This record gives sequence, structure tokens and C-alpha cells, in this order.
Amino acid sequence: MSDARLLISNLKFAYTAESGRAIPAIDQVDIKLRPNDFVSLIGPSGCGKSTLFNIIAGLLVPDAGAVALDGVDILGRPGSVAYMMQRDLLLPWRTVLENVTLGPELAGRPLAKAKAAARNLLRRFGLEGFENAYPATLSGGMRQRAALLRTILCERPVILLDEPFGALDALTRAAMHEWLAGVQREFQRTMILITHDPDEAVFLSDRVYVATQRPMRIAGTVDIDLAPPRQRDVTMTPAFLDRKRTVLELLHSAPTR
Amino acid sequence: MTLAKPRRWKVWSRSKDVTAPLLLFIAIVAAWETLVRSLAVPGYVLPPPSQIAIEIVRDRGIIFDQLLTTLFEIACGYALSVLVGFCLSILIVYSSAFRRGVLPLIVASQTIPVIAMAPILVIWFGYNSAPRIIITALVAFFPLTISFVTGLQAIGPEFIDFFRSLNASEIQIFFKLRLPAALPNIFGGLKVATTLAVIGATIGEWVGASAGLGYLMAQDTAQLNTARVFAALVVLGAFGMAFFAAVGLIERWSMPWVYGQPFFARMWQSRAA
Repeated sequence: MSDARLLISNLKFAYTAESGRAIPAIDQVDIKLRPNDFVSLIGPSGCGKSTLFNIIAGLLVPDAGAVALDGVDILGRPGSVAYMMQRDLLLPWRTVLENVTLGPELAGRPLAKAKAAARNLLRRFGLEGFENAYPATLSGGMRQRAALLRTILCERPVILLDEPFGALDALTRAAMHEWLAGVQREFQRTMILITHDPDEAVFLSDRVYVATQRPMRIAGTVDIDLAPPRQRDVTMTPAFLDRKRTVLELLHSAPTR
Repeated sequence: MTLAKPRRWKVWSRSKDVTAPLLLFIAIVAAWETLVRSLAVPGYVLPPPSQIAIEIVRDRGIIFDQLLTTLFEIACGYALSVLVGFCLSILIVYSSAFRRGVLPLIVASQTIPVIAMAPILVIWFGYNSAPRIIITALVAFFPLTISFVTGLQAIGPEFIDFFRSLNASEIQIFFKLRLPAALPNIFGGLKVATTLAVIGATIGEWVGASAGLGYLMAQDTAQLNTARVFAALVVLGAFGMAFFAAVGLIERWSMPWVYGQPFFARMWQSRAA
């Protein structure tokens, strides 16, 4: 177990409704990530995936279970992992450069150094020439890349991605997948991705966790042993389709209500 | 050099913006002048615009002396209302007890006619500018407070969660998130308050003062010197418009992400480049 970067064990969480009744959201979740793993969590809408991320990010405290980063308990301790939420959440009053250096700024790290690091990465993130642009002038794909650059510049070992490409059109999304795979290799971060899209999950991941309906359990895991670097045409190969079928079967085997 | 063309376009479109209201204004003034003259309305009932203009020029010394007094009260009262409104809005946003307990009282205070409060404030604070500054602030602070509160609560909860996930402090959340997000509402309130501050200071002088445009108008009304009442109103109105426009200008410069970079920032950038 000592090789785990992020270890989530026996997690249980219930919301308290206004009536005082407990509404279970997470029944039993165990997830293990080794350093530089890319893991996807796929499940039906409203199954409690975002709740799980809020717990890992330290925004919610579970009723039972543990979350450990490199063996250290991080329950209820925000700032331990970097969290990229569903919407890009770029601040409209800040330029791209001011947005992407928000993490170091809030942490009180030297801003000049962070800005220099950000400038060096703008080209890699397709934002060259836009450092002084406001987010309102960017395309959807550029906004997501800026949000991801901001997440990377938080300098955290683990990155949580909550459906980052959900709002993008199919073509942009496919381009973003290949690009994200490259970024993950290059920056050596451990990533968990929440998604509804089996192609996205299989294409990007080393391992896919399939979640059940709320309250969430893990219905099963699928190892995606396709050699990197994966190109777009891998999605047409029998090996890819076979993994995707396993994921879909697990998704559909989960009892629905 | 490349800036010259869009600039010229801008001046052209601006002049078009101004033409319509200017024509309307001239039409109203002309109709007023014609009607008053053709119907032979007595000057103490409704003076024609030409007589008001003559009055402004002739009594400019008196009017501008009194204007200075009024301006001082407007400036102090406005600043006070901004300060009070800002402090109240923070208490309302951050304390639910304050919101439940004190907000109804603030609302109730707004139903008290200021004209009834003014003489009492003179009894309390004496025959100086203090009661008039307080009346100005009293009239202006309420819309300011409400717009500040609305603004500070405008940011989506997901942004606050995002800042929390970065381990941001409450102070960072306030200054780097709530406050910039509140600026459109804050400036809306600041603009409404400019006109209210002008009204407040004038009412304060009307009720109990020995100087100021409100005092001058009260005196002139009693003596049926209606032309000079209108002269004072025109000067006050012109100042009110300038005050409103000045706050609007600050608004544009404060939010370059909405209105674009102000011209001096562009000049500075092109010089630096």
C-alpha cells in the first residue's frame, strides 16, 4: 500500500435534507492511484461523483472512511490537491496570465516566478499571445486549457478533473483528449477524471472505475492496457472497443431505479 | 497610427449619440419659451428660459457662492453614505443575525419622510452643516447598501467552492472574488446615489440653513423670485449630471474587462512596448 499516491478507502457520505433525513450519496468507495496514474471515474448522472471530488478536495468531510495523499490524511484539508471543476471558473476581471497564476498568488508564493513559469507554458497550452486577454474573448477550448494551466500551476501532485470537456463540441473535445494525454505525460501528475463519456474514459486512462447509481459504489474496474502514446485512431482498434464494451457492460449491469 | 481609424469612428458615433438628445432639449426649451410668451404667463408663475439664463449670468456670483456650500455638503454626505453603506453591506452579507435584526430597521428608516427628520436633526446637531450632511447621507445610503449587498452576493457559490479548494482565506475570498464581482452593482448604486445626494443636500438647506442653493431657493420662493429659483435648479441640475457622468467615467476605467482598456492605459502600453 505504500506505493499509493492517493488512497481512498471505505468512503461513506450522506447529505442531510432539510427535513433532517439523511440522504446517502456515497455508499462504499475505494480508489487507489499510484504516482502518474491517470484514472477515470465513469457513472450515471447524479451518482455522487462530484460529491466524491468535493471530499477529496477537502470541501466536505465524509461520515466514514479515509483519504490519504502519500500516506498523509487530507480529510477536510483543502489545498492538498488541485481541483478543476466542471465550469472553467475563470475570473472575468483577470487576464489569462492573472487567472492562471491564481494558485501561487493565493498560496503566497512569489508571483514574479509564477508569472515567468506561466509565460513559458502559454505556448504549450495554445494561449500564446493571449496572456493579456480577458476570458470573455477566448473560445471554449482556450478557456478550458487556461483553466487546466491554472490547475497545473497550483503545483499539486494530484489533479481532480470534473468533466472538464463536457461543454465542448465533439471535435474540440477529441483534440483536447490527445492534448491532455500529452500534458499528463509531460507534467507527470496523477489525475482523476470524472466523465460520462466511455470513449473519453478509455482513451485517456490507465484504469477506469465504473460507479453505480446513487448511493455510489464501485461496480467494477477496467484496466486499459493500451500502450502509450495513444493516437486518435486507437479508438477504432478491436482492443480499444473491447475495453469500451467491458466498461459499458459494467455501466449497464449496475441496478437502475 | 493604427488606432487613428477606430478612434475617428468612435468620435463620429459619439457625436451621433449627442445629436438626438440635444435636438430634443432645444425643442423643449423653444416650446417652453414660445408658450410662456404667447400665453403671457407671469414670470413669478413660470419664467421663460431666456429669463432664467439672464438670471444665471447676472447673479452668477451669488449662485456660485451658494453652490460651493451645497457642493461641500454633497461631497461629505456622499462620502459618508458610501462609508456607511459599505460597512452595513459587509455586516449584512456576513452576519445572518444582523441581516435578520437590523435590515428591517434600515428599511423602516427609509419610510420616515426626510423632510420631517430634518428640523429634528437641526435641533440635535445645531445650525451648521452637520445636520445637512447627515440628511444627505440618510437619503443616499439605502440604495447604496442594497446594491453593495446584491453585488457582494452576486458571485456563484461554485467560485467560492473553487477558492476554498485552493485553501483561500475569507479575506482573500472577499478581496479577490466578492469585491471585484460586486463592481457592476456597486457602481449602479454609486450612480443612483449621486442624484439622491444632490436632492438630500438641497432638502437639508431648504429646511434649516443660512447658506446653500436650497436656502437660496427657499428664500426666493418666499419672495416670488421664481426666475432665480429656476436658475438655481438649472445650476444644480447641471452639477448633478456632471457628478453622475464622473462616477460613470470611473466605472468605465475600473472595469476594463467590460468596457475595454481606457485610452490612457492604451497610450501607456503602446509607449512601454
